[in-house]
Amino acid sequence: MSPKANILVLSLGLVALLAGCGRPANTSQQAAHGFARDQMKSMLDSNPEIPVHTIVLPHDEPIFPPGPGRDEFVTACVVCHSPRYITMQPRFSPATWMSEVKKMKDVYGAHISDEQALHIADYLFSINGKASTGQGPKGTYGE
Amino acid sequence: MNRRGFLRIVGATGAAALAASCNRANSIAETLSSPTSPGRFPEKTELILLTDRPPQLETPIHYFRQDLTPNEAFFVRWHLEGIPTSVDLRTFRLNISGHVRQPLHLGVDDLRSQFEPTSIVAVNQCSGNSRSFFEPRVPGGQWKHGAVGNAKWTGVPLKSILDRAQVKAGAVDVSFNGLDAPPLPSVADFVKALSIDHARDGEVMIAYAMNDQPLPMVNGFPLRLIVPGWYGTYWVKALSDIAVLPQAFSNFWTDKAYRIPTTPNGTESPKDLAKDTIPINRFNVRSIFVRPEPEEVVHPGIPNEIEGVAFDSGYGIQRVEVSTDGGTSWADARLDPEIGKYSFRRWRASWTPRNRGQYRLMARATNTVGDTQSKAQWNRSGFMWNVIQQVDVKVA
Repeated sequence: MSPKANILVLSLGLVALLAGCGRPANTSQQAAHGFARDQMKSMLDSNPEIPVHTIVLPHDEPIFPPGPGRDEFVTACVVCHSPRYITMQPRFSPATWMSEVKKMKDVYGAHISDEQALHIADYLFSINGKASTGQGPKGTYGE
Repeated sequence: MNRRGFLRIVGATGAAALAASCNRANSIAETLSSPTSPGRFPEKTELILLTDRPPQLETPIHYFRQDLTPNEAFFVRWHLEGIPTSVDLRTFRLNISGHVRQPLHLGVDDLRSQFEPTSIVAVNQCSGNSRSFFEPRVPGGQWKHGAVGNAKWTGVPLKSILDRAQVKAGAVDVSFNGLDAPPLPSVADFVKALSIDHARDGEVMIAYAMNDQPLPMVNGFPLRLIVPGWYGTYWVKALSDIAVLPQAFSNFWTDKAYRIPTTPNGTESPKDLAKDTIPINRFNVRSIFVRPEPEEVVHPGIPNEIEGVAFDSGYGIQRVEVSTDGGTSWADARLDPEIGKYSFRRWRASWTPRNRGQYRLMARATNTVGDTQSKAQWNRSGFMWNVIQQVDVKVA
C-alpha cells in the first residue's frame, strides 16, 4: 500500500471515530469519551497529513450561586454563552445590566419575557453590580 | 458533580450570603472568575482567559518581544457559540458566488496549487483592544492591550480569486462568511463585507498559512480573510463563503454592531452620544509598551532598555517619542528597520534612572501622515483605543 493510501485508510478510521463521538462541546460526552478524544487529538496533532482536523474545546464554566433569577439566567443566557461573559465585566449599575439583558432579548433574540428579563437583570446585578452613580453608559452591540 | 465544582458552589453560596450581609470588597463575580481557568485551548499556549464559550483569549504582553506573534499565543475572539471544531479538508470548499460569471468551489489544495502564493506581515487587532481602559467603563470584552498580534500571512490575493470568478459589472460589495454558526435562529450569522474596490485592491488576501504554519483552529483554520490595516472584525475566520453583491451589504453586524461615531477618532461623550455612526474601518495609530511591563521594578544607575511596538493602518510609523517623567519632556526612540508597512514597528530607548522612586513612562507614536495618539478618548462601544500609554515603574 502506498503511503498516500495508508493515510486515507487511517483518516477514514478517524472519521468513523469522529462520527461516534458526537459534538465536542457536550460535557457529558466529553467526559465519557475523554480518553478516546485525547488519543485521537494526539494522533491528529502528530500527523499533519491527515485531512480531518479536529479540536476539543475545554469545558469548565463557573457555577453561579443560587438566588432569585438564577433559573432564568441559566436557561436563557447560558445556552448561548459562558457565564464568564458576566464575570468578565466590571461591576455595572442596575440600568447598565438591564440594557445588556434587553439587548440580548431584543437584538440577539434571547427567548425571555419582559418579566424574566427583569429577574435576570436583578440577578446579574446581585452577581456583579455596583450602586448607580448617576448616568452610566448603556451597552452597545456585539464586540 | 466533581469535587472542584462542589467546592465552588459551596464557596459561591457562602459568598452570596456574605455579600448580602455586608458591604463587600469583592463582588460575587470576582470570586467566581478568579483564578480558575479552563486550561489551555487546543493548539494554544496559556493565554489570558476573558471568556471560554465562545472563546476570547488575550495575548500576554511579553510575546510582543518577538516581531512575529507565535501562533500559539495569538489572541482569539469569536462571536457565536457554534465555532468550528472539525474541518475535513477533503470536503471543505471555499465558495465564491453571487454577482459573478463563474461561481467557484475551491479546496485548500486548489488555493495552494492553482494560484501564485503571496505573503504579507500584518497586524491584526480587535476593535475592542484595550477596552478595559475606557472610563466610564463600557460593556464588552474587557481586553487589556493584548487583543492584537503581528503575523506573516501567506495565501492568495482575493483579487486573483475574484478575477477567476469573473465579477460582473455593477458589483458593489463582497461579503464574507465563515463556518461559525449562531446558537439560535434569532441570532444573526456573523458575516462581514468590504467594498468591491477594497476587495480587489490586491492586498486583501485569503490566508492558508500563519507564520508558515496552518492556522490554529481557533484562529480560523483552514482559511482566514486578511484585511491589512483594518480592524479584526473584517478578518473572517474559517472563511467558507464569499458572495459578490450588486447592492450594498446589510446585516446586523454591519448596520448595528461595530460602528463608530463619525467624530474625529470616533470620540464622543457619555452624556451626549453621537448621532451619526459609520462602520469601524482602519486602525488609528498607537504604540504599546513591551518592556518594562506595568509594575515592573527596575534599578537605578544602570541603563534599562525600554521597548515597544507601534503600528497604524499602513501609512507607516514616522516617529515614536518616549517620556520618562510623566510627559514633561519627550525624546525620540530609535526605530528598528521596517518589516512592512502593516507590521509592528519596534522602537527602543535606553533609560538610566538616577534616583529611586516612582516613574511614569509614556510613549507616543506618530505616522507618516501626521496622525498621532489621543490624550483622552471615549466611545460607547469601547473601540479604537489609542490613548498615549502610561506605564508606572518603581525604581528600587
